[in-house]
Amino acid sequence: MFQRRRARLLLALLIATAVALVTIDFRSGEDGGLDRLRATTTAVLRPIQDGVGVLVRPFSEGAAAVGDLFAIRSDNRELRARVATLEERRRVFDDLERENAELRALLAIADRTELDTVAARVVALAPSNFEWTITIDVGSDDGVERGMPVIDGDGLVGRVIQVTGEASRVLLAIDPSFSAAARSARNGEVGVLDGRGGDPMDLRLLDPAAVVEVGDAVTTSSYQGGVFPAGIPIGTVSQVGEDGSSLFREVQVNPYVDFTRLQHVLIVFSTGIDDIPAFEGSEGLQFRRPPVPSLLEPEAPAPEGTDGDGDGASDDDADGDGAVGDGPQPQALAPQALGSAGRRVLPAP
Amino acid sequence: MIARTLVVALLLLAAVVLETAFFSALTLFGFRPDLLLLVTAAIASRDGPLAGVRVGAVAGLLGDLLLSSSPVGLGILVYGVVGALVGWSRPYFAPTSVTAPLLLVGAASLLGTAGYGVLTSLLADQRIGAPLVLQGAVAVGLYNTLLAPVVMALVRRVSDAFPLRGLGVE
Repeated sequence: MFQRRRARLLLALLIATAVALVTIDFRSGEDGGLDRLRATTTAVLRPIQDGVGVLVRPFSEGAAAVGDLFAIRSDNRELRARVATLEERRRVFDDLERENAELRALLAIADRTELDTVAARVVALAPSNFEWTITIDVGSDDGVERGMPVIDGDGLVGRVIQVTGEASRVLLAIDPSFSAAARSARNGEVGVLDGRGGDPMDLRLLDPAAVVEVGDAVTTSSYQGGVFPAGIPIGTVSQVGEDGSSLFREVQVNPYVDFTRLQHVLIVFSTGIDDIPAFEGSEGLQFRRPPVPSLLEPEAPAPEGTDGDGDGASDDDADGDGAVGDGPQPQALAPQALGSAGRRVLPAP
Repeated sequence: MIARTLVVALLLLAAVVLETAFFSALTLFGFRPDLLLLVTAAIASRDGPLAGVRVGAVAGLLGDLLLSSSPVGLGILVYGVVGALVGWSRPYFAPTSVTAPLLLVGAASLLGTAGYGVLTSLLADQRIGAPLVLQGAVAVGLYNTLLAPVVMALVRRVSDAFPLRGLGVE
């Protein structure tokens, strides 16, 4: 009982002292006596704390490490799962980055060539090892028609050979049945480009003495009513054959397009060549087919703008649809046009 | 008596050094144990309120001077009150109980830490909010309860070796 009373008394005294100390500490500011006492105590005890700290720190850290083991194990599991997730994301990101680059390249080439295009995704390759075609996810519902050129960010891919409502098949430029009018970008030498089933492609220059060098860029040409708009990049000359050995100058062209990695392509709606505006008052003019020279008669000079045989197609265009080469060909041409290039032929005088 | 005072002072000094040097890496939910409070509660539960108030006052002063930048006097107030309360509540627990002193020390640590936090928030650092005070009180209460068997065993030995004598001893 006596202790309780003394304890109460002591506690009351303690509370009063504490309140007084708090008040003094508040009022004395930063350089008060209590602060000096605090600084002194710290200075006295710091060496002890440092010494003991050095002695017990290894134990402390060891004990902490033991305690951390459980956390580390779960952290490890968590981090492994996170690494797996991030790896997966990185792979997806790489794929998206590549896809982004492809799409940007497509946009760039579409802008550069000022072509009216529609983008498509490659959904399948040809099932056969001897047919170089792809299937794309756009069709006639999107306005795609047979014969339309197909390009990607690197250049010429091929042309549409089959169209359904929501899909189309594209004959790749490396398919042996593919042909296109082409020219050297450096000097304009024109020729016929043929696929060979892989790299490189064959270019037969019409001028046997044409000057072509390795590394020259080759682009599509609208020469003689080729179905492709002029200026689409095809590739670079990798080998030049000897001149004068044949009617053509044989040149090999390495395509820009990597045909094994096609993911996105553009189907070209426009031809890239403006129609020649009709003359004033020429709306009523009727198309008259130019005279076809008889094989037995001496050959008459062909009207300007035609190919000489009067069928509106080049000499290489065996099926007469305006495109060179054989194989499935695009749509039939209007009688007043040469190919799908949109160049009109004026009636013969 | 002088020997006891010296031993208890040494105990408090060891508590404060261990608290700052050893337990700085061993935190529970980010909080260290309050060994000064634990020693105060342990002594109070063993030797009664008078010893509790005395030890609490010294422990509080030591804490005020060393551990914190809060006003000097807060620790004295809180630790002294805790010592007194634990000492007063001692008769209400069965002397042979093992868990009761542990729970008492744990509760004292919780209340002491909460009180210290509230007073610090009111007088010194208003950024200390109620959630932090509550979190700290629970963590320190748990931590001190875990360490209580060791500290109480040590205090019992000290108390047996240097028993309180003279007036005011029950």
